[in-house]
Amino acid sequence: MTVFPDIQTAGRRQTAALSIFLVVQTLGTVFFVGDVIGDLRADPLSVHFIFEAVVTSALVLGILFGIFALRRTIELLRAQDQALAVARGALSDVIDRQFQAWALTPAERDVGFLALKGLDVAEIAEMRGAAQGTVRAQLTRIYSKAGVSGRAQFAAFFVEDLLGAAVPEAQAA
Amino acid sequence: MATPRTHSAAPPSLWDPVVRITHWGIAVSVLFNAALDEGGSLFHVSLGWLVMALLLLRVVWGVLGPREARFSAFPPNPVAALRHLGQLASGKVRHYPSHNPAGAMMVYAFWACLALVTVTGLVMTGGATPMQVAEEKAAVASGDWSALIKKSDGESSEAEDNSLRHTAEEVHEVVANLLLILAALHVIGVFVESRAMRRNLVAPMVLGQRRK
Repeated sequence: MTVFPDIQTAGRRQTAALSIFLVVQTLGTVFFVGDVIGDLRADPLSVHFIFEAVVTSALVLGILFGIFALRRTIELLRAQDQALAVARGALSDVIDRQFQAWALTPAERDVGFLALKGLDVAEIAEMRGAAQGTVRAQLTRIYSKAGVSGRAQFAAFFVEDLLGAAVPEAQAA
Repeated sequence: MATPRTHSAAPPSLWDPVVRITHWGIAVSVLFNAALDEGGSLFHVSLGWLVMALLLLRVVWGVLGPREARFSAFPPNPVAALRHLGQLASGKVRHYPSHNPAGAMMVYAFWACLALVTVTGLVMTGGATPMQVAEEKAAVASGDWSALIKKSDGESSEAEDNSLRHTAEEVHEVVANLLLILAALHVIGVFVESRAMRRNLVAPMVLGQRRK
């Protein structure tokens, strides 16, 4: 859970830095172009003007490349964001359906979700305004309906689906 | 599988940094140049060049930038703008993926005025860059007044030059005032729109909403 916000923040910082750089670059180029146009009016065939014109076109090209790079970074960040949202939605769909298949009651579903999120019994009890004994009993019923030995196996049930065939491959290697 | 999420129905929760930097850079520069510094001063001319650079960057970004920053996301359409204002009056508003049609017209009006102000400003200074203005002022300050004498081919073109500069000056002032009026309308528009849409339209232009 803490990994994704960090990637997002880093991406944001990167795009912000790129943008500021782009603004400074544009500002410098505009001044330079202004200067070159002044030279053009003075003497269009001087070596000075030709040299400056080449430098200016290089600057303009640099800005265009910078703009392309920035747009790609922004679109990449958005794609990651979207993929993450889809994955989140998909996972909660899977959990929902599995809870239904186990015939959990609405209260048990809530407790099950909170347990999957990593909250301990005391925290769940506090959030739901229930006694710790009630929550413990609900968890026990959930585990028995799911046919798992305890919390670790309960959480692993869903993580296993996400990991797919990674375990045998890792063993082979 | 997961239900496909549509992101197109609402404006971005955070505008990209180029849009934000150009927006606030131009806003601050225009207000400063209109109210706080002296027209023709080195600072005024420098800020004018800054506005020109930001405007150029935003226009290029309008072609090459991400989808909602591109002109194609908010084409100028006065009919749609009026329709949107009508909806706003009746309390039923649609959400748009970029600027709403009325906001889009405001954006184009701003850009047209900014372009006009910078071009007339360039005519008034004879296209002098801030560096040249600074040199000129330094020369005059040191007693060399020859910098004030403009190079010209003859009497007639000088007169023409002067009348052009005079016209530019008039336009510069009128459009600058127009810009301030537009800015006021813009602020009112954002306020009204935020209330009608029940969403904060300012946050996406600053830092976005902090996610918990």
